[in-house]
Amino acid sequence: MTANLVTVFFVAGALFVAGVFAAAWRRDVSSALAGIPLILAGAGIAFVGVARFAGAGTPHLFGQEVAVLLAVAATALLTLGLGIAGREGTR
Amino acid sequence: MDSLHAIGFYVSSGVSVIGGLGVAFLGGRMLRGVLLAICGVGLAGTYVSLGAGFAAIVALVCYIGCAVLIAGPRYRSIQTVIGPMWRQLGAVGAGALLLVLGFSAFRGSFVSAKPFGDGFGAADIGRLLFAHDALATDAIAALVLISLVGAYAVWRVRERSR
Repeated sequence: MTANLVTVFFVAGALFVAGVFAAAWRRDVSSALAGIPLILAGAGIAFVGVARFAGAGTPHLFGQEVAVLLAVAATALLTLGLGIAGREGTR
Repeated sequence: MDSLHAIGFYVSSGVSVIGGLGVAFLGGRMLRGVLLAICGVGLAGTYVSLGAGFAAIVALVCYIGCAVLIAGPRYRSIQTVIGPMWRQLGAVGAGALLLVLGFSAFRGSFVSAKPFGDGFGAADIGRLLFAHDALATDAIAALVLISLVGAYAVWRVRERSR
C-alpha cells in the first residue's frame, strides 16, 4: 500500500472544494466563514505534498513553512470575519 | 512512502475530508465546530504522514482554535443578502472546480514522483520563516495583529452597548 502525489492532490482538492462550496452555498455568515479554514487546509496539503514528492533540489521544508503560515492565516481570517459579523449583529 | 505512513495518510485524509464535508453540508453551530475540530485532527495526521510534524502541531492548535470560535455562542447569526441564483451558481462552480482539479491531477505526470526528505525540522522552518521568507511572515503577523485588534475593538463596542 502506498500513496503518491495524485492521491494527495485529490484530498487537497476535496477539502478546497468543500470550503468553496461552504463559502458559496451557506446563507449564514458564520457557516460561510467556516469554509475559509477548509480552503486553506486544502492549499496546505497541496503544498506539503508537492514539497514531499517534488524532485531533488527543491527544499522539502518549504511546504511545511507555507502550511504553518496558512494555518495561522486561517485562524486570523476567521477571527476577523466573526468579529466583523458579531459587530454587525449588535446593531 | 512505506505502508505505515500510507495507511496513516489514507485514514487521516479520510477523517479530514469527512470533517470538511460535514462542515460544508451539516447545520448547527456546535456540530460545525466539532466537525471542524475533527477536520483539524485529520489535517494534522495527514501532515504527520507526509513528514511535516511541526506544521501538524501548528495546524492542530490553529484548527481547534477555529472550531472553538465557530462553536462559540458569542456572535449572532447573520444571513447574507446574496440571491439564490448566485449561491447556486457558486455551488455548481465548486463542483466544476472539483472536476477540473481531479482531471488535472489525474492527467498530470505526478504518479512517478517519489517521496524524499523527512523530519520535524522546527529549527530549519524557523530559519526559513524569519530569514528567507521574512516578508511573508511579516504579512501573516500583520494579519494576526489586525484580527486581534479588531476582535478587541468589537468586544469593547459590545461591552459599551450593554
